[in-house]
Amino acid sequence: MAALTIDNVQKRYGQTEVLKGIDIAIDKGEFLILVGPSGCGKSTLMNSIAGLEEVSDGRILIGDQDVTRASPKDRDIAMVFQSYALYPNMTVRQNIAFGLEIRKVPKAEREAEVKRVAQMLQIEHLLERKPSQLSGGQRQRVAMGRALARRPRLYLFDEPLSNLDAKLRVEMRTEIKKLHQRLGTTIVYVTHDQIEAMTLADRIAVMRDGELLQLATPQEIYDNPANQFVAGFMGSPAMNFIPCQLAQGDTGIGVQLEDGNGQPVWLPLPDGGAGLQQAQLGKTVTLGLRPEMITEPQPHKAGQPLVREVAIRVDVTEPTGADTMVLTELSGVEVNCRVNPRYPLATGQLASLMFDMSKAVLFDPITEARLDN
Amino acid sequence: MLDNSRTASQQLLRWGIYGLLALMALIYLMPLWVMLLTSLKDIEEIRSGTLLSLPQGLNFDAWQKAWSSACTGGTCEGISPYLANSFLIVIPAVAISTLVGALNGYVVAMWRFRGSELFFGLLLVGCFIPFQVVLLPMARTLSFLGLANTTTGLVLVHVVYGIAFTTLFFRNFYVGLPRELISAARLDGAGFFTIFRRIILPLSTPIIVVTVIWQFTQIWNDFLFGVVFSGSDTQPVTVALNNLVNTSFGGKQYNVDMAAALIAALPTLLVYVLAGKYFVRGLTAGAVKG
Ligand SMILES: Nc1ncnc2c1ncn2[C@@H]1O[C@H](COP(=O)(O)OP(=O)(O)OP(=O)(O)O)[C@@H](O)[C@H]1O
Ligand SMILES: [Mg+2]
Repeated sequence: MAALTIDNVQKRYGQTEVLKGIDIAIDKGEFLILVGPSGCGKSTLMNSIAGLEEVSDGRILIGDQDVTRASPKDRDIAMVFQSYALYPNMTVRQNIAFGLEIRKVPKAEREAEVKRVAQMLQIEHLLERKPSQLSGGQRQRVAMGRALARRPRLYLFDEPLSNLDAKLRVEMRTEIKKLHQRLGTTIVYVTHDQIEAMTLADRIAVMRDGELLQLATPQEIYDNPANQFVAGFMGSPAMNFIPCQLAQGDTGIGVQLEDGNGQPVWLPLPDGGAGLQQAQLGKTVTLGLRPEMITEPQPHKAGQPLVREVAIRVDVTEPTGADTMVLTELSGVEVNCRVNPRYPLATGQLASLMFDMSKAVLFDPITEARLDN
Repeated sequence: MLDNSRTASQQLLRWGIYGLLALMALIYLMPLWVMLLTSLKDIEEIRSGTLLSLPQGLNFDAWQKAWSSACTGGTCEGISPYLANSFLIVIPAVAISTLVGALNGYVVAMWRFRGSELFFGLLLVGCFIPFQVVLLPMARTLSFLGLANTTTGLVLVHVVYGIAFTTLFFRNFYVGLPRELISAARLDGAGFFTIFRRIILPLSTPIIVVTVIWQFTQIWNDFLFGVVFSGSDTQPVTVALNNLVNTSFGGKQYNVDMAAALIAALPTLLVYVLAGKYFVRGLTAGAVKG
């Protein structure tokens, strides 16, 4: 039985459709991450789950209980907000205990619970302070403490780390991950940060314009995006999208493009272009290839059937320390390559790079849908 | 060099501003000063001296008379009974209109419902309705309710008239508070009134101070409603003051008039002195944050 079922949930404000029929089911203990561009309806979906907004259509179930019309307090959900929303007039202790107090938990139990949560989040020394006397990271912890105190069935996090500086964000990310592993809680989590999404999620839901585009594990989303939007949204630097033609080669259907010399090169596709028809040969398609699949020639891969060397012109090099990002142009679009910093490169010169096509994907240039599966 | 000349001209400007401010303060304080001087003189001194000449000594006879024996229309008990009347009107009226305004503002800002914007818009119109317009309908209403000429009736009038303003004050303050506070409290299980009492009200001190001062001054200084809707024994001090000034046996007793006026103005003055700092702070708080 799913811990949370979102069944064809729709939300309209007057004429504007903000959620256009979302279907998601998550298991107990699962960590679901919602991502999508600003304004795509993530917060609206979270608020609908929490009962802070009424859905226009569809059902929401927590466990096997239909809570579509239940008020927030009857849903047994805790939420951590982007602004933390700590009660400014209360101390940290009172903030954490407030929900318990409202639910008439006896005082001794309340105190024990505050103590447990404070210990877990290492905020015991802050209990008597007001929120205004805390740093951003401390406030974030208190906000999590308040959510953890009631041991609800479901946790919602709406961009909980976005107000923190980069270093603290990484720290808190690790802590949230540990906390989730330790407590086995069910979490729905909104973020704009792809690394947060990749590292924390059991599954990622990618949304756009109120629609769910793909719901899958981080690796699946990364390797096997449902369409060009998902492919471009996840991963940094983003996947390269290179226009090319479908062409027959000696190992099946592949793609044809021009290298840095203006010479045509043919590149193979995984499984000899499985899922493509002979009738489609010559059609212009968009090849999706992540930057880390275009590298310096690696001897141990040299003989593999899906690996080819292509001459490219080095336009710009951007050393990041671990790798050097090489910018080049293929078929009129900019292409990012991730090259070992020790591989000799000269700006403006030709270089021979290795294209590993084993994770290549194809999209329709007009509908942006996947073509090869 | 450049720096020096700049600071010099800046300094000049600063002193100019101070001078202007001092002049303004002087102009505004002058009547108060004259009133105070006059109230401490006897009639002879007033007649012989000028407006600004100092009294011969601290003579509180006029104050005594204004307080307890000056004639206001029919009776000659000074203005003290009417001062009490004013307090009986002002205190409940301020308390009720502030509380209702806080609740209204809370609803309009945080619990939007279908038509709440319209509701607020209509309420705002209430701020622009002149006193005179409501006189007749209000008189009909009060007599219908059996509250004509009573203190309760006057309290009701002031509450009704004041709610538009108090709602506006609280609403503008509350829209500056994060709505996520309400969401968090609802998820914690708190209901409408619990959230108001436990979270919103404790945050409202600045705007409560502003509203209380505003309402206190408005209602205390009101004359029109007081003169129209009060009975002879429920008159507020403003009406009594008018009667006192207009009741003259023989010559005008300027010293008693001035003393009575000062007594009548004292409560509002006190409120400003005690809470004026919060008033300015509260009025600007929303502006800076918003
Ligand atoms: N009360 C409302 N009335 C009309 N439209 C609204 C209302 N609230 C939100 N919207 C619209 O709904 C859409 C989704 O908003 P939502 O806050 O869910 O986006 P989001 O995905 O959380 O964005 P972000 O990443 O910026 O937080 C937006 O286009 C927004 O303009
Ligand atoms: Mg949002």
